[in-house]
Amino acid sequence: MLVLALALALGVTLGLLTSITVPVALLTYLGVAVLAAIDSCLGGMRAALEQTFDDKAFVFGFFTNTLMAAFIVFIGDRIGVRELYLAAVVAFGMRVFDNLGQVRRGLFQRWGWER
Amino acid sequence: MSPNRKPKDTLVHLREESVRRIVESEKAVERSFHEGRLLASLAVGLLLVGFLLIAQWRGNQTLTRELDRQSDQDLAVMIQDMTTENAGLRDEVMRLQVRIIDAERSTKDTSDVLNEAAEELHALKLTAGFEAAEGPGCRVRIEDPEHVLLAQDFVALVHELRGGGAEAIAVNGRRVTATTGFSEGDGWVFMGGTALNSGYLVEAIGDPASLDQALTMPGGLQSRFATFPGVTTEIRRAETVSVAAAVDAGMVYGRPVEGE
Repeated sequence: MLVLALALALGVTLGLLTSITVPVALLTYLGVAVLAAIDSCLGGMRAALEQTFDDKAFVFGFFTNTLMAAFIVFIGDRIGVRELYLAAVVAFGMRVFDNLGQVRRGLFQRWGWER
Repeated sequence: MSPNRKPKDTLVHLREESVRRIVESEKAVERSFHEGRLLASLAVGLLLVGFLLIAQWRGNQTLTRELDRQSDQDLAVMIQDMTTENAGLRDEVMRLQVRIIDAERSTKDTSDVLNEAAEELHALKLTAGFEAAEGPGCRVRIEDPEHVLLAQDFVALVHELRGGGAEAIAVNGRRVTATTGFSEGDGWVFMGGTALNSGYLVEAIGDPASLDQALTMPGGLQSRFATFPGVTTEIRRAETVSVAAAVDAGMVYGRPVEGE
């Protein structure tokens, strides 16, 4: 757990240090991509807690999820369905909350806070 | 396992045991390896998430200053809102301008009325004698060492001057008004209750020629005064005659009539 927290902190620090700025035109894509990445990570943690983690699946899922999310929004933009990003946001948002709940439950079970 | 097993069994058991241990240690290695990969991949994923999160965060801060990425519908709504607000403000500007114009007109009206009233009041006061006046006219100097002149002579004099178009008359520097009366007593002539010193000076504003003529015409006042003993009358036209304002005594008994 500590390693994961440190990794997240390191990522944030790197982001702050590099002072990277995303072109405004790509913001929506990246936003959905970030959401997908968060979802993937939470899914991975959930799988790890459920003893079903597969690193290949995780890495593959992480990148495909992220890229596909951005791609779907991009496609939506191209075909004039800009609101498609909303669908992605809703879908990923729901998954994020779902995974978050599972991770929380898994952790609590491991720590003996829950049955 | 039974406590009294055969040596063969023991050998088999030992072999099994060692195999099991090897397998277990391999499994443990594999598990730890698996665990390490799990941690590594998750860590990389979270690192990326953190990085992207910050990048997105930064970008979004600039986005709030940009309208480019607003959807057409959002922009349309914003434009609609602004248009409505603009129309409202325009209406308000119009209303306020109308109010300004109204206010200006009303103040202008008031000041105009006030100006007119002031002018009227000034003219009335001038005519009534409550305003100092200046203009061409005549000076009449009358010497009466024997005090033979009576109040009626002064009334006649004022009357003649008014007949000659006098606009303002003063006797001995005191203005003759509508309520001024002449009286006499103890050889003195009183004007408005105050005695007039001999060596009278009557000043009148008006057309000098007309005034002069009014007094000097044959059978006029000058010729009449000439018949009085010791009375001398000297009439001079003047370019500028100034008469003082009368002291406003005000009315004691009279009251304005309501509705006039």
